Amino acid sequence: MGLSDAIARSASRHAHALVVEVPGSWRTRMAAERNVAARGWRLAISPADADVLVVCGEPGPGLAEAIEGIWHQMPGPRVRVYVHAGDEVGARLDEAHTGLLDTDRHRRDAQQRPTASELLAEQAGSRAESHGGHGDTDHGSAGGHEGMDHEGHEGHEGHEGHEGHEGMDHGSHEGMDHGSHEGMDHGAHEGMDHGAHEGMDHGGHEGMDHGDMEMSPGGIPLAEGGEDRDGLEMDVLQVRLGPVLPHWPAGLVLRCSLQGDVIVEAQAELVDGRVRQDDEVVGPARGIDNIASLLALAGWDDAAAEARRIRDTALEPGDGAAGSELERLRRRVRRSRTLRWSLRGVRRLSEEDAHARGLPADAVGDTYERLMGMLDRAVAGVAATAAGDTGTRTDDASRTLSTDHLPHLVMGLDLATARLVLASLDIHELLAGQAEHEVSHG
Amino acid sequence: MADPMPMTDSPITTVAPGWAIAALGILGALAVTAAMLDGALAARAGGGPGGKMGGPVRPFGEAARLMRQRRRTTVEADRLLWRIGGAGLLVVAALMVTVVPLGEWTIFDLDVGVMWFNAMDVMVWALVWLTGWGANSAHSLVGGYRFLAHGLGYELPLMFALVAPAIAAETLNVGAVAAAQEGLWFAVWMPVAFLVYLLGVAAFSVWGPFAPAIGTDVSGGARAELSGVDRLVFEAGRYALLAAGAAFAVPMFLGGGAGPLLPGWAWVLVKTVALLAVLVWLRRRLPAFRPDKFMEVGWMLLLPAVLLQDLVVAVIAVWRS
Repeated sequence: MGLSDAIARSASRHAHALVVEVPGSWRTRMAAERNVAARGWRLAISPADADVLVVCGEPGPGLAEAIEGIWHQMPGPRVRVYVHAGDEVGARLDEAHTGLLDTDRHRRDAQQRPTASELLAEQAGSRAESHGGHGDTDHGSAGGHEGMDHEGHEGHEGHEGHEGHEGMDHGSHEGMDHGSHEGMDHGAHEGMDHGAHEGMDHGGHEGMDHGDMEMSPGGIPLAEGGEDRDGLEMDVLQVRLGPVLPHWPAGLVLRCSLQGDVIVEAQAELVDGRVRQDDEVVGPARGIDNIASLLALAGWDDAAAEARRIRDTALEPGDGAAGSELERLRRRVRRSRTLRWSLRGVRRLSEEDAHARGLPADAVGDTYERLMGMLDRAVAGVAATAAGDTGTRTDDASRTLSTDHLPHLVMGLDLATARLVLASLDIHELLAGQAEHEVSHG
Repeated sequence: MADPMPMTDSPITTVAPGWAIAALGILGALAVTAAMLDGALAARAGGGPGGKMGGPVRPFGEAARLMRQRRRTTVEADRLLWRIGGAGLLVVAALMVTVVPLGEWTIFDLDVGVMWFNAMDVMVWALVWLTGWGANSAHSLVGGYRFLAHGLGYELPLMFALVAPAIAAETLNVGAVAAAQEGLWFAVWMPVAFLVYLLGVAAFSVWGPFAPAIGTDVSGGARAELSGVDRLVFEAGRYALLAAGAAFAVPMFLGGGAGPLLPGWAWVLVKTVALLAVLVWLRRRLPAFRPDKFMEVGWMLLLPAVLLQDLVVAVIAVWRS
């Protein structure tokens, strides 16, 4: 017992935390990251790596669902805390630490959690639900859902007390099966000769629909072929980036079609729509945070950690100490030939490009030049703050990007450079674009 | 080389196979040393209030954390291949050190020891890729392929870097290569090969600038889905590979156990630890080499440079004999 207690204590002292920023709650997220570092924890970069899930802000329904998905992927022992404001970070993370030590609780948690197949069925159910809207009108089977719902509910006692929406999801899962039967019947009426392979045809035509489910191992659709840049066929993989992803704009969801790791098509949207900003005064910390993200994505952990530390200093009121440190970081970054070699020429934007995408004039140039620009702006910003000029939202108004323009900026790039480019734009706020509007209502 | 490999009178004593346990222990200790050093350097870089908890004890806390963590699997994971990939790194590192003489003792006095080491490091290609592939996850798979892209860049230069000492010593026996450096270390008169070799070690350990395969931008890449003991074994494997790579450089480039005062085995350890420290420190200094761009460096710069080095070494070797 003594040994396992000692291991539990040591493990909890070295926990990894996955910090999720609800769009707009960047100040809280920074406070959380700082606290995580101060207690000797580390920031996790994937759910598999995380012991503690720290949600900063109050998530809307879309993000809450994504967070739920992340929670299911965490290996455990796992603890989840919600931080609503920067000043309660310490208390919440203390709770998380205590929670991690409670071995009995984690043992119960491990026994009660749903299996992957249950979760997938649930997910497939909710997907069919959203498609069901079209299906029902097509096939006229609206009444069928109700009856199946209650049947499907039984025999799932294991889930009890797990999530409120359980019953609903399972119901809709049944609904999906029902729907596809309907589809088959419908097809059979049309032409007897098609009857045998109706299911397949049906799936093929509807793309994302239940037909895929039947042909997909474990409920994950197989990759489809597509023509690659060299004209040869290559698998196209549908991957969703965000909304819970470190060093990624809060709330952004990018649905990518990947060939290899090249983004051939992308669609951007904001989870839960419009962003509410934490507060009016921004200051240079936001930009320094983006520098830290870019350096982390470039694989330079040391410089990224340094940038985060400077960011935390800059957040403290009335302290010019960040200035000299920032100057040192700028020199260090400028001296790195490897970084220059790696970022040079990545997504060079001309003045027209920047203008057409609604980007500020400093986005002109390649990713390396944009990084240098970020550093220069941060140095100037810290100096201005030290001189008593607190930046306001008006300074910040130009650092926005519409989700309409985002796909054009990353298409044709591989994942690594796409993420570098996105970080280098130094975006403070994402705006929901027109295309998204159509998607959500179409 | 049409002749069968000449049997060299190796200056090396082969010890009983039971000593392999001791070799494993030494490898483990070196890997832990590397991890502690990395923890200490990370704490120094983190600075401020965050630094004090980390430091050299960090790896032990991490190990405790991972031992307590549950293993996880992904949907439709190719579990067998996935686990083989994750655990394999440690095995490969152990197999590498079997041919490294510790002073005058070795586990396995192979006449083709250099090739043996090379074969082991090529295995890492398969293992890292399998780790990425097995998880059935996009980020993981991207990570696996990134490693292969790096591999295409670093492997040939690494092979030709290993050729240089072998030509100079006219043998592929590791002990004999060490003995051939009386007076002048190979690292001194074949510096290009030595540097390229060190890059290769960092590369097959998925370390520092060669870490995009497990990079932050792909959520941990090949290791994105690993947790618990699986992740522990994978990480331990990386440190062990780094240690094995450093240990192998000692007989190949740094004169093996040669040195004043201390016995041979102690010199081997001292040199290994020094080299290991350099490799660990490298990670702090350099951002990632993007795999697509590194390929160009590998083929256009490193490969010609190391081939030229081989040529120079070969000419000197012919002229001397």
